[in-house]
Amino acid sequence: MALIAASTVLRAVFGYLFLVLIVRIVGRRPGKQLTPFEFVLIFYLGGLTLTGMVGTEASITNAVCQILTVALCHYALSSLRFRSETLTRLLDGVPLILMEKQGWRPDALRGMMIKDDDVMAVAREQGIHDLSGIRMAVLETFGQINVLPVPPEQQDEDS
Amino acid sequence: MTTQPHITPVEDTVPKVAGELAVGENLEFQHRWWTFERIIWPIFLLVVVFDLLGGLGHGWLAKAKAATSGGALTLDYERIERANTPSTMTLHFGPAAIREGHIQVFVSNSVVQELGAQRIAPQPAVSSVGEDGISYTFPASVSPADIQIQLQPSDVGLHRFRVRIPQVAAIEARVLVLP
Repeated sequence: MALIAASTVLRAVFGYLFLVLIVRIVGRRPGKQLTPFEFVLIFYLGGLTLTGMVGTEASITNAVCQILTVALCHYALSSLRFRSETLTRLLDGVPLILMEKQGWRPDALRGMMIKDDDVMAVAREQGIHDLSGIRMAVLETFGQINVLPVPPEQQDEDS
Repeated sequence: MTTQPHITPVEDTVPKVAGELAVGENLEFQHRWWTFERIIWPIFLLVVVFDLLGGLGHGWLAKAKAATSGGALTLDYERIERANTPSTMTLHFGPAAIREGHIQVFVSNSVVQELGAQRIAPQPAVSSVGEDGISYTFPASVSPADIQIQLQPSDVGLHRFRVRIPQVAAIEARVLVLP
């Protein structure tokens, strides 16, 4: 019986850490909101993990223990992330410059599977009409592309 | 008395790009991560292909067959099982297994306990519990005759089991139960 209890806790730990790894590897995608494509991924991954974590034990006790286990794992990981710069980079990644004054960064675009159109879509949202109006485009660790416009005085000088 | 907040001087530790924007970019780390991704994706693909082939149970690589020399007993089973997942072990009996209109077969306790035997079809006429296993007796007149044991293992690990027709033949095999 003790083994069964331990196995449910271990399953919860494994499920949490495995999902953290998979979601990290699947990567950042641009956009402030989830696309339908990403909805499918998130719900499907969650559902499949749940099947393995719960197994044949559909009791409330099991659910409570596994939720507490996942909460503790999350707390422990957040605490370690706070203390370690390396773990922060491993869990969150680092911001990436997609475009700067000199031009596009093709390695970053290819590596993150982001098209220049994706950057332009964000720029248009900010009222930037063309590439000359972008000073820098940065892919943040949380998946959002931030576009910094060229200051108006600099635009006047260029024109 | 109100507690005063603890304040430290602001220090800009985030590396700047072109000396103007604090981004915190770390291309060295990012290139190492992309290398890791280039390695991990093929590994994911290999795991899925290995699974499709049955290397993780329920497939071509998992299926196993064992037979006694005289052909009295042939066993179809899965050498790789998954925990809490049903599977079937089939026992095929040749003419040599039938004695006086009966087939008597012994299965070790591990088939019932570690491999989680759920039911046996057809139902035996007699079941008797022995020291390290169970003996089943089935009325039989024609050969080949088949018996199926539904398994649903719960114990993860490598398990040995034995199936025997007393004084005729025995098969010993191993099953790996994956979590």
